[in-house]
Amino acid sequence: MREQWAETAMGVVVLALTAGFLTYSLSVGGVHSKSGNYEISAKFGEAGSLAPGASVTVAGVKVGTVSKVVLEPKTYLAVAKLSMDPNVKLPADSTAKITSDGLLGGAHVAIAPGASLDDLKPGGEIENTQGAVDIFGLIGSVIRPQGGGAGGGAGGDAAAPANPATQPAESY
Amino acid sequence: MASAEAAGRSALNPIRALGRSTLAAVRMVGGVGVFAVRGTVAALTPPWFLGQLWRQFVAIGFFSLPVVGLTAVFTGAALALNIFTGGGRFNAEQVMPQIVALGITRELGPVLAALMLAGRVSAAIAAEIGAMRATEQIDAMRTLSTDPFRYLVGPRLLAGVLMLPILTAVADTIGVAGGWLVATRVLDFSSAVYIRNTLDFLQGWDVISGLIKAAVFGFIVALMGCYHGYNAKGGARGVGRATTHAVVSSAILIFASDYLLTTFFTHAAR
Repeated sequence: MREQWAETAMGVVVLALTAGFLTYSLSVGGVHSKSGNYEISAKFGEAGSLAPGASVTVAGVKVGTVSKVVLEPKTYLAVAKLSMDPNVKLPADSTAKITSDGLLGGAHVAIAPGASLDDLKPGGEIENTQGAVDIFGLIGSVIRPQGGGAGGGAGGDAAAPANPATQPAESY
Repeated sequence: MASAEAAGRSALNPIRALGRSTLAAVRMVGGVGVFAVRGTVAALTPPWFLGQLWRQFVAIGFFSLPVVGLTAVFTGAALALNIFTGGGRFNAEQVMPQIVALGITRELGPVLAALMLAGRVSAAIAAEIGAMRATEQIDAMRTLSTDPFRYLVGPRLLAGVLMLPILTAVADTIGVAGGWLVATRVLDFSSAVYIRNTLDFLQGWDVISGLIKAAVFGFIVALMGCYHGYNAKGGARGVGRATTHAVVSSAILIFASDYLLTTFFTHAAR
């Protein structure tokens, strides 16, 4: 090793760079930075392709991540737990909506802030929600307006009901 | 009469050549198999030559760090640019960190580290052992009742199997760092979001399967170097041929076993 000091030094440099980047990544994206986050929940009639790790945005800016998506057995609603940046306080009457990142991208939760003076508290719930849009259901309802249970899609979505699954089913 | 016989022989020649090369191929596979078993037994059972083992750890592991790191950082950077371009065709640039991380940890990290090791280490091993064979040092070793498998082959195999996963872990990290550099400096990604997306997305199995691959590749690289060096024939030219064969055969075996392992892992994960 003594006669190969240049290679030895390079090896040490590479190891140091690796360790440095690892430390930086863990400090930025690791468990530590998440400790300050607070959690809120939102119930959706249709979660679509929303999965843990998806981002939560306000006005297109990421302010948190989806930490968990589970079914509430009694109401058959999808409950998404959102881990939020502590610097972002949301009004209590904000609206959460599942939208798509792109044509093939994953889903994310877009939050439209409300006008209430009270903030959502940690552990609170966003009451006004709009679930994922079933694109194939929509296409089906356009092609065969009378056919199938998805037929209500076009009219129902235009009215943008909050929590569509809790509304009484429209009968056509 | 004589000419007819000659004609018959020349007509049979291609078939004879085919048979000869088939036999040679089968014999070589068997030879490699026997060599691998003897080497593994020597590597796993005492007594060990600890000095040799340490020297091989340093030579194969530590001194390969610069070349593996350089390869990884440039590959990660280029991969990030390419995936950004490809993702842009259907408005999915945002998934770039995840795809870079997946590509690096599952495939490129282990394969590139192994290929660099094939060039750097496999050739060196073949040249070293080949030269010892050419100067009859291996026979001398046997005369002094030192098992060349224990002294030469075992430590190298162990070093290959143990060091390449470590090198791959370094390559994974540096490869992601390369993608991160390009994404943040050139493509205006947010640094924290890039890293958080990567860490949130990666699963343990992505990394572990890459490390398992790396251990297999490490065995292949060391084995091919030892085998071709040990069986080098004919002086300096033989040593040259041995190094070439070692590099080429380990590269081919790396790719072939990479496909097999990936298939196996894909089915095992279901």
